[in-house]
Amino acid sequence: MGMKPILLVEDNPDDELLTLRALKKNHIQNDVVVARDGPEALSWLFGDESLGREAIAPSIVLLDLKLPKIDGIEVLRRIRTDPRTRLVPVVILTSSREEQDLINGYQLGANSYIRKPVDFPEFIQAVRQLGLYWLILNEAPPG
Amino acid sequence: MPDMGGSATITAEELLASRELFEGILAIAADAVVSVDQAQRIILFNQGAERIFQFTAAEVLGQPLEILLPTFARAGHGRQVERFGQSPVPARQMGERSVIRGRRKDGEEFPAEASISRIVVGGRTVFTAILRDVTQERAAEEAINSLNTDLRRRATQLENANRELEAFSYSVSHDLRAPLRSISGFSQVLTEDYSDRLDEEGRDYLKRIGDASQRMAQLIDDLLDLSRLSRGEVRRAPVDLSALATAVIADLVAAHPDRRVAVSIAPGLKAEADPHLVRTVLVNLLGNAWKYTSRKDHAHVTFGATADEEGQPAFFVRDDGAGFDMAYADKLFGAFQRLHGMKDFPGTGVGLATVQRIVHKHGGRVWAEGVVDRGATFYFTLQ
Repeated sequence: MGMKPILLVEDNPDDELLTLRALKKNHIQNDVVVARDGPEALSWLFGDESLGREAIAPSIVLLDLKLPKIDGIEVLRRIRTDPRTRLVPVVILTSSREEQDLINGYQLGANSYIRKPVDFPEFIQAVRQLGLYWLILNEAPPG
Repeated sequence: MPDMGGSATITAEELLASRELFEGILAIAADAVVSVDQAQRIILFNQGAERIFQFTAAEVLGQPLEILLPTFARAGHGRQVERFGQSPVPARQMGERSVIRGRRKDGEEFPAEASISRIVVGGRTVFTAILRDVTQERAAEEAINSLNTDLRRRATQLENANRELEAFSYSVSHDLRAPLRSISGFSQVLTEDYSDRLDEEGRDYLKRIGDASQRMAQLIDDLLDLSRLSRGEVRRAPVDLSALATAVIADLVAAHPDRRVAVSIAPGLKAEADPHLVRTVLVNLLGNAWKYTSRKDHAHVTFGATADEEGQPAFFVRDDGAGFDMAYADKLFGAFQRLHGMKDFPGTGVGLATVQRIVHKHGGRVWAEGVVDRGATFYFTLQ
C-alpha cells in the first residue's frame, strides 16, 4: 500500500500542531495535508481548477466539526455523496461529548470519532489506535 | 254560552290563579323578561329586568324598546325585530354569533345572552325577550383567555430559554475546552522535550499547569452533565435500589481494593424512578461515603430506608467518615460548594448538586445530617 497522505481538516492552529505531533509520536509517516476550513478541505478532496489543485485521494480524513465557512458535518456529507470519496475513511475529531451526540444524531457515516482530550498523552494514545487501525490494519479502498 | 269543552272554559277564578302563577314566575325569574308590542313599546318588564336594567317597570312601560339598547344598536335592532316579526320562526336564540349588548339606566352597557319569541294574542303580536346579563361570565372568560395567552407566552419563553441554554452548553463544552487543550498539550510538550533544561521546581510548575487544566476539563464535563440533567426527562420504571447499591459498591471495591469498608445494604428496597438517574444518585452518595471515610482504617457505610414525616419512604446513605458541620448544611447541595479542602478530599463540588437536581426532578426531597469527624447521613425521597 502506497503512502497516501492524511488530510487533516482543523482550523485551530494549536490543535493542528498537537495533532501533527501526536501523529509523529506514533511514527505515522504519511504526508499530512492540512486544510483550515471547509472549502479548502473540499478543494483537496475534489480538486480545484482555479487553484490548479488536483484531488489528493487521502488515506484518511481527520475532520474537525466546527470549521469556518462550511462546517465538518457538511464536508462529511459531501464526502459521502460523491462516488470519488464515498469510501474514504473519515474520523471526526470532536471537542465535546455534546458533539458526539450531534454526530450520532446525524448518522452521516463517519467511520469513527475521537474526542480531543484535554489530556495530551490520552490524545496520542487515541491517535495511535486510530493510526494502527485505519492506516495499517484497514486496507484502504483502491483509489 | 255554548259549551266549548271543559279545557276551553276558564272561570274568572281560574284566570286569576293563572295570572298569579304567571306573575309569580316572572317575579322570581333571575333573567330579564321584556315584552314589546308591534310598535316596539314596552308592555311587560319583570323584576329581573328591573334589577338588570336598573329602571323600574313604571319608568319604562309604554316607552320604546330603544331605551334599553346601546345607541349604536338602536336602528339595526328595530329592523331585526321587524324582520323576525315577518319570519315564520316563532322563537330563536339571539346573540349566538355576536354579543348582544344592553344598556342600563345610567348608560352603562353590558353583554347579554337573549332569546326572543313572538306570540300572537287576540290578533296582536307580542315580542318577548328573555335576557341574561353575562358581564361576569364574559369577564371570567376574558380572564381565562388572558391567562391562557399569558401561559402560552411563558411556555414559548421557556422553550426559547431552553434552546439558548442548549446552545450555551454546546458553546461552553466546545469553546472552553479548546484553549484548555492547548494549555495542557503544550505543557506536556515542554515536559517531554524540554525537561532537561528545567530544574525540579520548573517541572513541578509544569505539572501543576497540567493538573489544573485536567481539573478544569473535569469541571466543564461535570457542569455539562448537570445541565443535561435539567434538560432530560424522568422516565419512571420499577428500580431495585438494593441491587443497584450493591453494584455501585462492587465498582467502588474494585477501584479501591486496598480499602477496608464494612458495607451494609438493606435488602428489598424498591422504588418507581428513572433507573439511570437513580443510579447517578447512588453513585454520588455512595461514592461520597466511600471518599469521606478514606481516612478511617475500618469504615462503615450503610444504605437503608426509613420514613419521612409524611410516612413516605426515605432512603439514606450513612457513613462514619469526616462528616460535616450542620451550620453549613444548606451549602451542601449548591454547585461548586465544597466543605472540605482539595488536599483532604478531592472533588469538583458538583456531585451533591447533581443528586439534588435528580431528586427534585422526581418530586422528592434530599437532606443531610452530620457531625464533624463522626459521619454523615444523606436522605432522599423519590415521590
